[in-house]
Amino acid sequence: MTTQVEAVKAERSLGGRIVSVLSGTAVRVFLAVVALFWLVPTIGLLLGSLRTSEDMAESGWWKVFSTPSQMTLDNYTNLLKDETITDSILSSIMITVPATLLVVIIGSLAGYAFAWMEFPGRDWWFLGVVGLLVVPVQVALLPVSKIFGAVGIFETTVGVVVFHVAFGLPFAIFLLRNFFAEIPRELLEAARLDGAGELRLFFRVVMPLGAPAIASLGIFQFLWVWNDMLIALIFADSESPPITVALQQQVRSFGDNVQILAPGAFISMVIPLAVFFAFQRQFVSGVMAGAVK
Amino acid sequence: MRSTLRTRRAPHHRRTTAKLAAAVVASALALSVTACGGDGDDDGDGGDKGGGKESAAAVELPKLDGQTVSVAAVWGGSERKVFLKVLDEFEKRTGAKVTFVPAQDPIISFLESKVAGGQPPDVAMLPQVGAIDQAVQNKWAKPVGPEAQKQLEKNYAKGWQDLGAVDGKQYGVYFKAANKSLVWYNTKVFENAGAEEAKTWDDFVKTAQTVYDSGVPPVSVAGADGWTLTDWFENVYLSQAGPEKYDQLAKHEIKWTDASVKEALTTLGEIFGKKGFVAGGANGALQTEFPASVKQTFTGGDQPKAGMVFEGDMVSLPISETKAEVGTDAKVFPFPAVGDESPAVVGGDAAVALKDNKGAQALLTFLASPDSAEIWAEAGGFVSPNKSLDMAAYPNDVQRDIAKALIAAGDDIRFDMSDQAPQAFGGTPGKGEWKALQDFLKNPKDVEATQKALETSAAAAYKD
Amino acid sequence: MASANAGGTPDAVLPPVPNRKSVTGTRKGMAVLFLLPALVLLGALVLYPIGYSVFRSFFDKSGDFTAFGNYKTLFTDDTILTAVKNNAIWVAVAPTLATGLGLIFAVLTERIRWGTAFKLVIFMPMAISMLAAGIIFRLVYESDPDRGVANAVMVGVHDTFAESSAFPQAHPSTESPLKSAGGGAFITREPVSAGTPVVLPLTGVAPDNMPDGAESAAAAKPDPDKVTGTAWQDFTRGEGRGKMNAPDKTEFGYAGIKVEAVKDGKVVASTEAAGDGTFALPEAADGAQLRFPASNFREPYNGVDWLGPTLITPAVIGSYLWIWVGFAMVLIAAGLAGVPRELLEAARVDGANEWQVFRRITVPILAPVLAVVAVTLMINVLKIFDLIFIIPPNSSKDDANVLALQLYNSAFLDKDAGVASAIAVLLFLLVIPVMLFNVRRLRREGRR
Repeated sequence: MTTQVEAVKAERSLGGRIVSVLSGTAVRVFLAVVALFWLVPTIGLLLGSLRTSEDMAESGWWKVFSTPSQMTLDNYTNLLKDETITDSILSSIMITVPATLLVVIIGSLAGYAFAWMEFPGRDWWFLGVVGLLVVPVQVALLPVSKIFGAVGIFETTVGVVVFHVAFGLPFAIFLLRNFFAEIPRELLEAARLDGAGELRLFFRVVMPLGAPAIASLGIFQFLWVWNDMLIALIFADSESPPITVALQQQVRSFGDNVQILAPGAFISMVIPLAVFFAFQRQFVSGVMAGAVK
Repeated sequence: MRSTLRTRRAPHHRRTTAKLAAAVVASALALSVTACGGDGDDDGDGGDKGGGKESAAAVELPKLDGQTVSVAAVWGGSERKVFLKVLDEFEKRTGAKVTFVPAQDPIISFLESKVAGGQPPDVAMLPQVGAIDQAVQNKWAKPVGPEAQKQLEKNYAKGWQDLGAVDGKQYGVYFKAANKSLVWYNTKVFENAGAEEAKTWDDFVKTAQTVYDSGVPPVSVAGADGWTLTDWFENVYLSQAGPEKYDQLAKHEIKWTDASVKEALTTLGEIFGKKGFVAGGANGALQTEFPASVKQTFTGGDQPKAGMVFEGDMVSLPISETKAEVGTDAKVFPFPAVGDESPAVVGGDAAVALKDNKGAQALLTFLASPDSAEIWAEAGGFVSPNKSLDMAAYPNDVQRDIAKALIAAGDDIRFDMSDQAPQAFGGTPGKGEWKALQDFLKNPKDVEATQKALETSAAAAYKD
Repeated sequence: MASANAGGTPDAVLPPVPNRKSVTGTRKGMAVLFLLPALVLLGALVLYPIGYSVFRSFFDKSGDFTAFGNYKTLFTDDTILTAVKNNAIWVAVAPTLATGLGLIFAVLTERIRWGTAFKLVIFMPMAISMLAAGIIFRLVYESDPDRGVANAVMVGVHDTFAESSAFPQAHPSTESPLKSAGGGAFITREPVSAGTPVVLPLTGVAPDNMPDGAESAAAAKPDPDKVTGTAWQDFTRGEGRGKMNAPDKTEFGYAGIKVEAVKDGKVVASTEAAGDGTFALPEAADGAQLRFPASNFREPYNGVDWLGPTLITPAVIGSYLWIWVGFAMVLIAAGLAGVPRELLEAARVDGANEWQVFRRITVPILAPVLAVVAVTLMINVLKIFDLIFIIPPNSSKDDANVLALQLYNSAFLDKDAGVASAIAVLLFLLVIPVMLFNVRRLRREGRR
């Protein structure tokens, strides 16, 4: 009986196998082409950044395959000598690091409060914060620039950082509150019984236990701030703009400026890509937390 | 009238990039100069060697030990570096300390915030006619003092002085000029075609035909950037209708439906409308941005996509990004005379004092003298409106020719008309003059419709 | 980049932790202390601006009350209207395509060994800035096929199937016996006769661009039974025309150019010129006009104007997909991992083919995930700014306009706070449904 069924299965799968081998190959080819599609633009930028502007004006980056001698690091050495670019990388760091740390700290505090503290209307407050998740930053550009102007931090690094922190908070609070809420109650109570105070409990127990979520959040926030152009365009100190704005200023000039834009864009990508490859898992889980269960 | 002098905001890319353009040129040229001269790198004692010049100083400057002077300008990169050298010389001569304040475009907004903060710089380098006017209306600008005035009268044509004056009072000292009446050509193409530089418009059309026959599209037009088209028109119009009409049209005192406009557009149509003359055809040209329009003229060996490209001295920037060398592969001739004289459409950066102190006035005096102009001229990427500047100061023939043409134009120089117009008309992509002339490029036969479109949007724009 | 705000989080989670009483049981003051920094920032920089924008949107540029004047501007001003339209296109097209492609990739990679590597490649653009992506795609979309890879591919494919002509720029020289015959063809003004050699001078082809077989142009020999003649480039490099309308030694023949004899609109004979430009037609051509058909002069194919006014929005959407398909793919793949294998296997055993399995089982099970992805992307697309700020050239800026960019222009270039605020309010109104959806969902899950 069983053998019969298996025989039928085998027979069916023989034809099926041929089809599936064929379609399997087709799928592989298709995916390989797609992958190529995705890689080519970046490769083009990289190879383009390794050619002189003279060569770029004559021909496309693919010419390096036939004349590899065109490749040179001159664009990079020139770029790294250019103070506006090197300074801007520094500015990017000066903005990104505090903006990330502050979001993590302030977000953790609030997330913990929403998860484990008792106060009237706690869940309503939390829902309110969740509602803010989708508010477009554009809504705030003009009003906040007025506030910053009044306070005296318009066009300063402080202003950019504060803005990024504010708009990073809803996501941070949402993510961390949900993560903290899953910390086993016993752990917290045990620490409590040991006589730990509120702050001690927070820093010694909650923060370490929340490390995975905090890592996700940190990476996300880091990338978001590092890659931002719009907020920096408006709020950053125009004399020391971050790399995105510094590069944007080079776009659409009288020359095409490939010799600055291509290596500049590539340098601006190095840090986020390094972060991405080093922390893939946290990055992906951050994406997941942000969108789906 | 008021509106005609409004600063133009939208195309600030153009502005910034003009700066940048010159910056790169400056660096490129500076490099080649040092390479040729072999005369040491400037930064260190190289500057001191120039000390010999002091004996031949053309201007006396007061001693200002202990004082500080701040200068705001939008210049960046190597352009800033050369300007700092100019300022160094000023420091050396006066003992004052000069600080450079990097400004953002549009500089008027930048100054607004500085003035509001109570910290205006002593001197600002203003890049537009309208900006000077605005600075005066806002009561920021201080008139030039007697010393600087003396230098101005001695070294500048009346035309250049007037550009820096508002209501008869002198405020601005034009330190750096831009010549927007140049035709750049690929020497190889001209050689292969046996074509020659054109002095008159008829010659120009003939030259274009010869280049066309030789197998290269003669003229590269950056139709995607409306401002290059307005510059085309302005050059033809200035030369054909003359400076008086030009001024009237700039102020919209005569209408765009005027016969003179019709004539100018018809003339322009002789190039735009001839099949094969415009590289890529009208549709191709409308997709070509300025840098591309230059690069396609100077790349491709014997077979570039075009033989000539019209625009100002900033053309040398995109050239510097190609393998072509200015002076050998790329040469330049003045925009051909359509009427009696070749046109001279110009731009420039004027120094304006924002504080009434000795330091600021001394700096204006210095900038009005040939001594300051010489420093930048030698570094390259710079044209001075200062007629007392020795032409030998320019590092190469092309730069010298550009400067010569500018000085020779004397009082007939005119500022870019579209820069003087309300922005809605003269400076907005997809609108006003830009749009009308792009449509004209598409359909050069329809002069009348173009005039109507121009007049309609001009009437609307000049009203407010 | 993958803004944290990507977390449009429609499917928010409120983990069911029962009895989440304060472990601290301490003073309420402590809670205030913990919450204060966050609430102050959110209140001042997120909540207040919403209120301010609503308020400000009823006043015009100079601050006078205008009621709904600014909103009217949104739907009457050409530039802004383009932005509204483009935003609609963006919201309709980009999330759909990204989700669709993400679904396809997620399903296909499931059974590929290098699926993970593939996913990494697709997902990587999420890490880089939109600015860098914009610069990358400016290079990709460069219109010159010698420099932009997109057009290089287009031209490569095109030229594999259609050959371009040898004399695209050739045209009758001045004072030529030829005239335009319309449609790009040229024809002799006068009929030709046998025995008298015809000269057909053209100009506009540089020596380097001549076909390989081209030789020095020669005058055709008269032949009483034939119509003979020469077609050549009447222009010598560096010299000009030389002797007009007569072939010089230094000039090149139009090797291979097609010549037709036309009588009463009908082609009676045709031939191709030899290397020196000479040709001979049979006697039938006597009394006919000679014509160069337009096929000789076809312009070479130069690809597509990606950044021109018509294609600019699709082109920028393309670059957006490059960034965001990875996002959709990763989320969908995660959802896919939760689809019960047995169900799929059972369907296959029942004779369903892969397409049916995909269509009838996989997609319905994934529907909630797909919805979440699409909605998240819609919110993201609503705010699209950087790409449109960077990629379009000046000439098509207006054609690519979107609300977020218009808001920036209105606020910081036109200094029109009224219109800018109205746009801000419009953007905010558009996300309110999602906001409510989030909150409701969260509450429902919390109750569970």
